[in-house]
Amino acid sequence: MSAALTISAATVPGRITGVSLTLARGVMAGLVGPNGSGKSTLLQVAAGLLSADGGQVLWNNRSPARIPMLERGRCAAWVPQDARFEFGFTVRSVVAQGRYAHGDDGKNIDEALALFDLAPLASRPVNRLSGGERQRVLLARAHATGAPLLLWDEPLAALDPRHALEVLLLGNKHTRAGGTLLFSLHDLRMAYVLDIVVVMHEGRLRAIGKPSEVLTPELLLEVFGVRSEIIPSLSLALP
Amino acid sequence: MPSASTTSACRNRRAAAGRFAVPLALAVLVILAFASLCIGDMNLTPARTLDGLLRREELATFVIWNMRLPRLLVAMLVGGALASSGLVMQAYFRNSLASPGLLGVSAGGTAGAVVAIGAGFAVNTLFFLPFASIVGACFATACVIMLARRGAGTERLLLAGIALNAMLGAVASYVLSNATLTYERNAQILFWLLGGLEDRTWEHVWMASPIVLAALFLWPLGRQMDLLSLGADEAQSLGVDVRRLRRVLLVLSTILTALATAVTGTVGFVGLTVPHIFRLLVGPEHKRLVPLSLIGGAAFVVACDLIGREAGGLRIGIVTSLIGGPFFLWLLRREA
Repeated sequence: MSAALTISAATVPGRITGVSLTLARGVMAGLVGPNGSGKSTLLQVAAGLLSADGGQVLWNNRSPARIPMLERGRCAAWVPQDARFEFGFTVRSVVAQGRYAHGDDGKNIDEALALFDLAPLASRPVNRLSGGERQRVLLARAHATGAPLLLWDEPLAALDPRHALEVLLLGNKHTRAGGTLLFSLHDLRMAYVLDIVVVMHEGRLRAIGKPSEVLTPELLLEVFGVRSEIIPSLSLALP
Repeated sequence: MPSASTTSACRNRRAAAGRFAVPLALAVLVILAFASLCIGDMNLTPARTLDGLLRREELATFVIWNMRLPRLLVAMLVGGALASSGLVMQAYFRNSLASPGLLGVSAGGTAGAVVAIGAGFAVNTLFFLPFASIVGACFATACVIMLARRGAGTERLLLAGIALNAMLGAVASYVLSNATLTYERNAQILFWLLGGLEDRTWEHVWMASPIVLAALFLWPLGRQMDLLSLGADEAQSLGVDVRRLRRVLLVLSTILTALATAVTGTVGFVGLTVPHIFRLLVGPEHKRLVPLSLIGGAAFVVACDLIGREAGGLRIGIVTSLIGGPFFLWLLRREA
C-alpha cells in the first residue's frame, strides 16, 4: 500500500513533539484528543502550513516543500476550524476559489454546492451565514479542489446532526474512491465509523489504530478523563 | 421563495454593475478630467480647451500645458495610488477599515518628507523627497506589521494606527517647531502637512509617475488578493504563494502611498472611501476592485480638486477629509 500521508518526527515547539504517523491511500482517519492536545497543529503540519522543525511531511512520498506552490493546491486541501469571513463574497465565489490551482476552470463547483447542501445559498454573501453554513462553504471549497488528501479541522463542530452525517458520508465516499481524509473531531461516538483513529495527548501521539482496538476504556480514562461504557443508545443515520 | 428571488435579483444587479463598472468609471474619469481642464481662474470653453490641448492657441496652450494638465495628472496619479493602496491593505489585513491614512503609512511618508525638507535635502531639487517619503512609509508599515499581525481585529489595527499617527505627527511637529529653520523651509513643510495640488509642475508628474508602474504590477494580482482576503493559511492551502504575494503587496502599497504623499502631502480618506464604495457597488472580487480603485480613486481626487477650487481654493487634503471623514463615521456606525 502506498502512503498518502507520512509525518515523521514532527515537532512544533510548545505544541507538538515528535509525532510520526503514516496514512495509506483510501483511509478515513480521525484525530481525537482533549483541547490543546495538538490536533490543529498536527493538521497544519500535515497541510504544509507549519514547518515540522526537523521532522518531515510527505504527501504520496513527496515533500510538499519540493512541490510547486500551485500544484500543492491540487494535492491537499486543508479546512480551518473557525470559518470567519471579513468580505461579502458569495457562497458560489468562495467555493469557486477551490479551482484556483486548476486555473479557475469552473469545474466541480455546482457539484460541490449540491453535495454540501449549499445550492439554495449560492448567491448569499458568506459573511451573513450561520456558523454551520460557513463551515460547509469551506468544506465545499476543499471538495472543489479535487485534492486526494483532505485535512479537515473539526468539520463537524458547528453542524447539525443531519449535515454532520452527510459530511461523514462524503468523507467516506472520498476515501472509498481512493482519497485520504484526516480530520479532527470531539464526538468519540462518531469515531466508530473511522478506519483509523489517531489519539493525541499533550502534544504527543498517544495511539493510532482501529477504533475498536485503540479506544479502550483504559485509554479514554487516561487521555480524556472519562469513564466509558458501550450501551444501546440513540443512534442517528441518514434516511 | 421571496428571499431567494431578491438575493438572486441582487446578484444579477451586481453582476450587471460589475460588467459596466470599469467602462463607466473610465467615462466618469474622462469627463471629470476634461472639466478639470476647462474650469479654473480663467474658464475655458470645451472647444478652447481642446485647442489648448492640441497646442492650437497660445494662451489656452499655456494655461493647459503649464498649469492645469500637470495638476490634473498629479491628482489622477495620487488618487489612483491612494485608493489602490487602501484596497491592498484591506486585503492584506483582512479588514475593510485598513487604509494608508488610518494605519499611519501616510503619516510615515509625510514625516519622511518633512525630515528631508527640514534637513535641507529638498532645497534645490525635489528628487530626494520620494525616497525620504518611502523610507518614512516603510518604517510605518513595518511598525503596523509588528503591532497588528495578519487578520488582526479592527481595534488592534486602528489603535496601532492611532499610536503611529501620533508618533509620526510628533516627528513632523518637532521638525516644524525647530527654531533653526528658515521661514521658507517652514512654509514648505506646512504646505506638505496641508496636502495640496497647487502649483504642481511637470517635475511633480515625473516624481509620481512610478505610480503607473506599481499599478501595472498590482493589476494581475486581483485573483490572489481574493483568496488572501479570506485567510492567509487558507489561501496557501489553495495554492497561492502567500509569503511572496504578501511581500509584493506590502511593497507595492507602501510605495504607492509614499509616492502619493511625496507629491501632495497627506491626502486623507481616499484609500478608505474609494475601495469601500466600489465594494458596495460591485462586490468584493478584486479582479474588478483593482482597476476600479485605480480609476475611481483618480476620479475621486479630481472631483475633490474641482470642488475645492470652486469653493475658493480649498486644499485637496481638506476636501477629501471633509467628504471621507463623515463617510468613515457612517461606516463605523453601520458596522456596529
